[in-house]
Amino acid sequence: MDLSRPDRTERLDALAAQYALGTLSPRARRRLARAGPSVPAVARAISAWEMRLAALAEAIPGVTPPPRVWEGIRARLGMAETLPSRGPWWSSLGWWRGLAFGSLALAVALAVTLFTGRPGEPSQAIVVVLAGQDGKPVLVASADRGSHVLTVKSVAPVDVAAGRALELWALPQGRDPRSLGLIPASGVGRVTLADTAGVALENTPALAVSLEPSGGSPTGKPTGPVLFSGPVSRLY
Amino acid sequence: MNASVASTAERTTALAQLLARTALADQAAFGELYRRTSSQLYAVALRILRDRGTAEEILQEAYVSVWHNAGTYDAAKSQPLTWLVSIVRNRCLDQIRRRDIQTVPLSRDDDEPELEIPSDSPTPVEMLLDGAAALSVRECINTLEGSQKQAIALAFYHGLTHAEVATHLRQPLGTVKSWVRRGLERLKRCLDRAGVTA
Repeated sequence: MDLSRPDRTERLDALAAQYALGTLSPRARRRLARAGPSVPAVARAISAWEMRLAALAEAIPGVTPPPRVWEGIRARLGMAETLPSRGPWWSSLGWWRGLAFGSLALAVALAVTLFTGRPGEPSQAIVVVLAGQDGKPVLVASADRGSHVLTVKSVAPVDVAAGRALELWALPQGRDPRSLGLIPASGVGRVTLADTAGVALENTPALAVSLEPSGGSPTGKPTGPVLFSGPVSRLY
Repeated sequence: MNASVASTAERTTALAQLLARTALADQAAFGELYRRTSSQLYAVALRILRDRGTAEEILQEAYVSVWHNAGTYDAAKSQPLTWLVSIVRNRCLDQIRRRDIQTVPLSRDDDEPELEIPSDSPTPVEMLLDGAAALSVRECINTLEGSQKQAIALAFYHGLTHAEVATHLRQPLGTVKSWVRRGLERLKRCLDRAGVTA
């Protein structure tokens, strides 16, 4: 059908009007939409009607969509996080809020302590369950309050690429992270602390593990992604 | 030209520039475009879909499409907001036509939006329109008969088909079709005389 013939233009105009209004049957709608890009007369007729009816749509009072819509759009487009990064992750409130899984971790910590505590001895333990973003515990760090050694047990497998290492950090309140040392990706690791655990981890609400070059962070601060973190539970 | 007309022209130009920058993958421009237009587009989608979840979904799809297709926007052919509204409306209509069209619930007591554009308190988006054009549209709509206005408003704002409008208004299908057709013809003649569209 030659839509640009004068006797057809009226018919086309009526179709375009119904298209813009939205009353065309689904089949006719699809046909016209398909023709649009390749037949200029169709595209022109549709856009003229969309312009005529635009004022109707624009007369509707606006409704602000919830923030998740914009977040969803950015996620679909693979755009980076919009949150303004005013500093490193350890100084962001959001990161600390992420530690809210602490109650679960604490329950796990208690269970771990009950299992590992030697019967008959009062437990004066510090226990940290380190979990990934999914909340699944991966490492359990524990020490007696008066001991200089922090034991880190792997409770789930961790894949660490060649040339990379896991580094354990203390995250003291309001200060930069302090390296506690490198830990193995599996089995049991022992980290020697500068002081007794009770003192070394004082005012330290959380520990974290970051992925670093083998040999540890070259800067003395975490440089790689934080893989696991967990709140410090003092069982005394 | 009064101050409000000048500022509407400025806003339209600003949106066109944001679209142009979005076409160049400028994320900040895209964010600003979203900030300025999303409430209007969300309102359009809500009217037609009558479901927040679906409206949010369609809105996301629409803006993702805008990001990818901003380069096809032609400022010579349409106003930026008209272009954006069309993208959202067409997605909404495709969405509801996929449903069983006979089951769309719409109470007769629903408050139907009046087709008149309020003249005393212009909506933010009305101000985006070229002032003279908005005035002509308002005047032209007011030349329609009540039944024509009502049928067109139901179809346009709620995405109803002819059959659904007929059911809703308890009128024969043929009557409704002719109200819509004559209403649109009259609107076009009036707007063309006023020089709103080419």
